[in-house]
Amino acid sequence: MEQLLEMARKAGDKAEVYSTERSSDGVSFEDAHLKDIDSSIQSGISLRIIKNGKLGFAYTTNLTNREELISNALDSLKGGVEGLFELPLTKDLPVLDTYDPSIEAGGNSVMVEECARVCELLSQRTKGQINISAHRSARNIKIMNSSGTDLSLRFSSYALNAQILYAYSSSSVNRPLVSKTFRKADDEYLGYLASSYNKSVKKIVPDGKGMKVLFLPETMYVLTWRLQSATSGVSLYQNISPVAGEKGEKIVDGKISLFNNPLDDSIPGARTFDDEGTPCSLFPVIERGVLKNFYYDLYFARKLNASPTGHGFRGSISSKPVPALGHLHISPGNMSFDELIRSIDRGIIIAGALGAHSGNIPNGDFSIGVSPALYVEGGEIAGHVKDVMVAGNIYEVLKNVVEIENTVHPSFGGNFPAMLFDNLSVTIKK
Amino acid sequence: MLDTLRSMISKAKADYADIRYEIKEETRIAFNGRELFHIGSNSTDGFVLRILRGGGLSPIAFTRPDDSERALRSAEGNAALMAGHLKRPVRFAEADVAKGMFFPEIEEDPRHIPIDEKLELTRSCNSIPLKYDRIATTNISYGEVIRERYFVSTEGSSFKEDLVTTSLGGLITSRDGTLIQNVRVGVGGSHGFALLRDKEEEFEKKAAIALDLLDAKPIAGGTYNVVLNPDMAGVFTHEAFGHFSEADLIEDSTMREKMQIGARLGNEALNITDDPTVPRQLGFYFYDDEGVKARRVPLMKEGVLAGRLHSRRTAASFGEGLTGHCVAEDYRYSPIVRMGNIFIEPGSRTLEDLLSMLGDGLYILDHKGDQTSGENFTFGAQYGYVVKGGKKKEMVRDINISGNLYHTLKNIVATGNDLVFSQTGGCGKGQLNIRSCHGGPHILCNSVIIGGV
Repeated sequence: MEQLLEMARKAGDKAEVYSTERSSDGVSFEDAHLKDIDSSIQSGISLRIIKNGKLGFAYTTNLTNREELISNALDSLKGGVEGLFELPLTKDLPVLDTYDPSIEAGGNSVMVEECARVCELLSQRTKGQINISAHRSARNIKIMNSSGTDLSLRFSSYALNAQILYAYSSSSVNRPLVSKTFRKADDEYLGYLASSYNKSVKKIVPDGKGMKVLFLPETMYVLTWRLQSATSGVSLYQNISPVAGEKGEKIVDGKISLFNNPLDDSIPGARTFDDEGTPCSLFPVIERGVLKNFYYDLYFARKLNASPTGHGFRGSISSKPVPALGHLHISPGNMSFDELIRSIDRGIIIAGALGAHSGNIPNGDFSIGVSPALYVEGGEIAGHVKDVMVAGNIYEVLKNVVEIENTVHPSFGGNFPAMLFDNLSVTIKK
Repeated sequence: MLDTLRSMISKAKADYADIRYEIKEETRIAFNGRELFHIGSNSTDGFVLRILRGGGLSPIAFTRPDDSERALRSAEGNAALMAGHLKRPVRFAEADVAKGMFFPEIEEDPRHIPIDEKLELTRSCNSIPLKYDRIATTNISYGEVIRERYFVSTEGSSFKEDLVTTSLGGLITSRDGTLIQNVRVGVGGSHGFALLRDKEEEFEKKAAIALDLLDAKPIAGGTYNVVLNPDMAGVFTHEAFGHFSEADLIEDSTMREKMQIGARLGNEALNITDDPTVPRQLGFYFYDDEGVKARRVPLMKEGVLAGRLHSRRTAASFGEGLTGHCVAEDYRYSPIVRMGNIFIEPGSRTLEDLLSMLGDGLYILDHKGDQTSGENFTFGAQYGYVVKGGKKKEMVRDINISGNLYHTLKNIVATGNDLVFSQTGGCGKGQLNIRSCHGGPHILCNSVIIGGV
């Protein structure tokens, strides 16, 4: 990498080399039996060269030919993509505990045995079909640039996701468990899944009017996705953020605080620097309902004459960094999950969402199929409902939150509590 | 390369092994509004090795040739671990040996077009919407993906097939005060750069729709009778039915009980086929990623389930014939069962007939975003029109449809006499399939649930 950086720097004015190596294994069980084990060993390098204020970019999986990679980056300079930003000099960052070497011990039999154990314990508590996947990975990233930054990080992660499926469907009650190394699923986890499923087995066809709606942590991403779009430097630059100019203003209910915390190393994936070498920090997006910040990478910070906020991340080595909030947290509220359920006279729980990506995201609209929708009556889960759609606009919906769960759970898109609303449109097919 | 691959799997301790090596060449040009955000051509490569041993099947993907021994040992270990834990051993359906070199029919090979010409074409199409004041921005990009696939198996298969995919399109976003609307535009396919030329009219049309949406009314949630245009009908087929024709999704599911060949799932007006061999369509290929020749599969005949899509593993498990539908995104993934070109066969009605049969309802057009989970599916439409007395009236927006496999197909009561295939794809069943192609005629569907906003 050092040699590549040196060659690239000579070919341009500034240069940056980013590399990643990742090994991973996945195990899946279907109907409580082992179905698949697969593995992957992937590597890649991407290169950015800035010359005369223009940006060149290239990538490869195998660094067999440095000249060719540099030549590809130089060729892309000809397009004239602007590259006026400075590459940061970052050093002396705090050390986080992101890697547990035990993740690589024991082979895949550890995950197979754990999945089999969870299947056995769940099958003692429920009659629903049980599917489970477990996944472990170890990853290195390294970033060097011509300003003198030379940073690397090693991560480990383990995740297990158990699902209990409704009959003749792949709709399920599920919850992910994540940690930095292998961890056994505990009784509370198994109890939550079995209890939620068993109470909701009965199919019910209620009237959709006057229902409260509870988003589980697993489906909160439907709402946060729209907030991420609105607070991104990209949306701001493209003039499609509905909250541009509202920094410091109250945009949602005062119960909501949304922040990005890459430094939390109690969960996998903690970061002290982003994929461009900019330091990461605890970053408030919304504090007690008030819009605090927009987030940027180097490119869009420069375009908007703002400071980079440490949010330049790459989807893969073939992608240039773009602003992203990858470590979202929503502050917990006051009620336990059971108390939340007990507070609902009549409502549905959104335990799975379909079509979160098809609504008008920049405008804040969502219109999702709910699969499954658990039905609550008289403070108890009483069954599940088919053919349900829930819709709204986050700038209306989030203005009035009834209550927020007092615990956060690692979920797709961040660490979220469950959130209860009484102002959403619910449509149920009769 | 084929000899190198043969050498790699010759060391495998396996009942069967195969290895796929791919070089993936990508060219991307992307505009954010008027500004060029990305341009470049790059090449990546990697291997996917699969080991079948003692009834255990295990794949491993790796990028460095030096890792081949490590990958082999890892896959052998995983296969042995599986063999000791499986409910029933994995078997592969018998397949003919695949040999040869296969290249698609191409009109203007994009590899021979200078990048400057690609840039100018992208810039020119991108500038069409931007000439209107109320167009806030665009995200228009040119994409070119060339997969050079080499495949070798211990059964003697040994072939190379190239897949060439080109696309030009993205998002057009309009804005009026705080109201933001967007539409998607996309042209492309599997047979060359020529497909992207002279498409300005499509960009003009979609820019006009993005502008019209600013004055359209949001639809109220409820149950509606609808006419779907061919793009929506194609997505409908893909989401509402196609995924449940993928044998791997139902192999170990209670859904398998209801998805028996011969089961009536749809209205008798409905005939659905998947055929990756339709020439010059987006989903075209000769051989899938486990070396099985692609073939036409009638999936539904007059509403009755007539077939399904298979890998070698699922064909053996179901005791059904091979179809050649086991496909991977690229060298990072092992193949899974995917649709190729899935479409509703055209019927005899004109659009006017269908609108007249509809009477009062909605005419909805062009999908955006779609998702399936088990028997449930949801997808969005970019725009639609209120229909009254069989006549198209005002535009409506914010249309998202939800449905259920077991009921919705029975509500497709009439099919049009046109047939249009999609030019761009992006099905995300764990891996992204940019060649996932769907098609159909206009269709009339009763009792569709729409979420509104």
